[in-house]
Amino acid sequence: MKEVYAIEMLGITKKFGNILANDHIDIRLKKGHILALCGENGAGKSTIMSILFGLIEPDEGVIKKEGKVVNITNPNDATRLNIGMVHQHFKLVDTFTVLQNIILGDETLKEFSDNPNFFKKTFNYLNKHLFKIVDYKKAREEVNKIINQYDLQVDLDQKIEDISVETQQKVEIIKMLYRQNDILIFDEPTAVLTEQEIQDFLQVLRNLKKEGKSIIFISHKLNEVFDVSDEITVIRKGQYIDTLKTSETTKEDISALMVGRKVNESAIKAQIQPEEEVLRVEHLTMLDPISKKKVVNDISFNVRKGEIVTLAGIDGNGQQEVIYGITGIKKIQSGNITLGGKDISTLSIREKIKSGISHIPEDRHKHGLVLDYSIYENSVLDRYYENQFSKYLFLNDKSIKQYGDALIEKYDVRSSGDGHTIVRGLSGGNQQKIIIGREIERNQDLLIAVQPTRGLDIGAIEGIHNLLLKQRENRKAILLVSLELDQVLELSDRILVMYEGEIVGELLPQEVSKEKLGLYMSGAKKDKVNAIKENKHE
Amino acid sequence: MNKIKMFFSSLLKKDATKTVITSLWCALIGLILGFIILLFINAKEAAYGMTSVLGNYLIFTNPQDRLNYFGQTLAKTAPLIAMSLSILVSYKAGLFNLGASGQYSIAVIVISFLGIGLNWPWWIVMILAMISASVFAMISGALKAYFNVNEVISGIMLNWIALYLTNGILSNSTNVWDSAHSETYTISNSSNAFIPSIGLDKVFAGNAIVGLGMVLILIVVAIIFILFKKTTIGYELKATGLNGDAADYAGINKIKNIFIATGISGALAGLAAVLSLQNGFTAWKLVSTPPEIGFQGISSAFLGGLHPIGVIFSSYFIVHITEGGSMITDLGFSPEVASIMTSVIIYLSGFVVFVKEVMHKHEIKNELNKLTREKENKV
Repeated sequence: MKEVYAIEMLGITKKFGNILANDHIDIRLKKGHILALCGENGAGKSTIMSILFGLIEPDEGVIKKEGKVVNITNPNDATRLNIGMVHQHFKLVDTFTVLQNIILGDETLKEFSDNPNFFKKTFNYLNKHLFKIVDYKKAREEVNKIINQYDLQVDLDQKIEDISVETQQKVEIIKMLYRQNDILIFDEPTAVLTEQEIQDFLQVLRNLKKEGKSIIFISHKLNEVFDVSDEITVIRKGQYIDTLKTSETTKEDISALMVGRKVNESAIKAQIQPEEEVLRVEHLTMLDPISKKKVVNDISFNVRKGEIVTLAGIDGNGQQEVIYGITGIKKIQSGNITLGGKDISTLSIREKIKSGISHIPEDRHKHGLVLDYSIYENSVLDRYYENQFSKYLFLNDKSIKQYGDALIEKYDVRSSGDGHTIVRGLSGGNQQKIIIGREIERNQDLLIAVQPTRGLDIGAIEGIHNLLLKQRENRKAILLVSLELDQVLELSDRILVMYEGEIVGELLPQEVSKEKLGLYMSGAKKDKVNAIKENKHE
Repeated sequence: MNKIKMFFSSLLKKDATKTVITSLWCALIGLILGFIILLFINAKEAAYGMTSVLGNYLIFTNPQDRLNYFGQTLAKTAPLIAMSLSILVSYKAGLFNLGASGQYSIAVIVISFLGIGLNWPWWIVMILAMISASVFAMISGALKAYFNVNEVISGIMLNWIALYLTNGILSNSTNVWDSAHSETYTISNSSNAFIPSIGLDKVFAGNAIVGLGMVLILIVVAIIFILFKKTTIGYELKATGLNGDAADYAGINKIKNIFIATGISGALAGLAAVLSLQNGFTAWKLVSTPPEIGFQGISSAFLGGLHPIGVIFSSYFIVHITEGGSMITDLGFSPEVASIMTSVIIYLSGFVVFVKEVMHKHEIKNELNKLTREKENKV
């Protein structure tokens, strides 16, 4: 007998501009199974899921549900077919309660069901079409039933803005179940979770599967994928590569399929004794400009030549603000920042850059590049005013071109044309190479890198790790901000864990486990820390 | 033969070519809609009306008249070019100068007092008018830089403040105000404040309003072109406009750039006033709406593809049909009809961005079809 598929997507093709995001991709999800969709960033995973959920219309291809061809042109169609999706960024109303968010768009209305007479019928009709009075009591009962059935504990009366990211995710899941969806799509659900939370989440997935739901799970973290999935579909650069049974394959095979070649898992770190201090931050305190809450609370640390110091922690615990403070993008409330012995606390951004900071910002589109500028123009974005590149207000096109060409050559920036190509059209990895090349080439003592591999594929991550380690060997001081535990453990010499604006732990990567790091990151464990390390040789 | 084909297809793929084509499309759509309006109002005369709109000075049979009116069209184009550049400069720096009309009005006050009242030399009047308009524009800039007030809103409000200020001051100054016509005196060609004709008047059949202004505006176009293409100022302005956050991160001083952008933009709006008043062609009338030229500048800037050289042509086109439109009143159309029609054309011309989008979609579809066909052929 032929296998029944919950969903089949056949020959899906979608083109954006000149880019084929999906090129005849086939996806087959068996009923009651968990299918992991793996691929590097930009492989087209999100595109094909957005097509299934009706957010994007495909140029070609068929979608079948349980063997029947269906037409999905908008999310309402998808909902009608009981397809639900949890997006990478949650779609919740911050100021509504959990219960309101769950029923939003599919409210249970007040209705008289016992012995209908004319008035009750009239009221029912009017309420359904006109008044739309919501029956919260009944809705709450229904939601509670789901909560108990799937063991998803949440407080229905709290507001979304007051609950953690993990709980918000649970709300999204309950939302799908409330709508009686039986095909559930998760787009990178674990990106925002800590190690422990990920384990809980995977348990939820198993529960859902046990209840007969069919699940598509997008991730590029292979540990989780192998933990929970039944089949794995790999796509690469918009092309369908293969679908394999999880039990019959290995992580190495899948990652080779994703990248298209073998990948070296970890870089080799040279033994280096840290030298003199470059950056010293003392008692730094920063306020949120609106709420006046302390987002950075009296922290002190230093970074020395030849070491990588990492600010680890869950997103939004003040790491970003510390960097803003050091680079001058946001004002500091109190404290001192010293660079190479010189107090730079109150200098302007330009003066700080000049006094010896290289900065790889987190968001390359928003902060690192002018996307509509060419590679050449971007390669001098923070040094065009130097004598080398301009004279008497006039840009020296020739030397900019020369410099840009050297950068392209050295950092292997690939584009469809030459250095005049607009950066917007480049892949994320190549855009990042421009920024990293630009900042490293400025040859400053301090290199700040915020999430330098965010959204990049495995191949590109490897290259960037090697570049950072090379800088360490060149005796630069490197301050890294990272949310990825693997990266933190692999690169750091010292790990400073931040929790609610404070440094709560100073850890050495060779002595700490992921689990312990997770405890610090979630605030379960706190130490008193003064993270300024002096060299002992005096 | 193939080579020529190749040349054209590669030319068509260029972004600049695309912009030119979209602008032409917009102009055409505007003209068609304008024609439809004429058909509704007076079907019999519509065709003739359209010819005179398009023909402008060409409908005159006498070559002397033609030259004269051609000169007039050119002279009116110059201020619009300046205005378009004013919009363009601010737009490239990520601002939208809706206050150009107000800056224009402020320049009018200076020109009237110094030019008409005191009879100062034209170039001093010009420079002072530009500076005052520039300072006035920087009010919007300062509000934006220090209090983050949206420059569109402050610009619109300052338009009205400037308008009533200009009306009030000029109509109460007896030495510049011609109360009989309730407008300012015009600057005569014997006045010191009159921009010299440098012999161009003889080329255009004695039309003295054509003069050094033509040369000046071309020089200004070149300066703006070089500013954005070659200088660090232009580089900073564009970076701020395209991605203010990244500019911040790179240490580019946003506040300084807001002042530079609004300052240049205001000076250009002031230049527009110089070029329309100091050739003795127009005067300030007692009006109740901010000068239209400030808004025409927006259409012209977009129709010109936001390119300094492009706006020369778009400004000419707009002035050409406006001038042509003013002639159809002779055909029994009321003056309002002419302005409705020309405004439809002008404002549709501003749809360049929209039309570009549509063209782009069409292109993708074609290419996809081609790709599928190729794939099918392979199978």
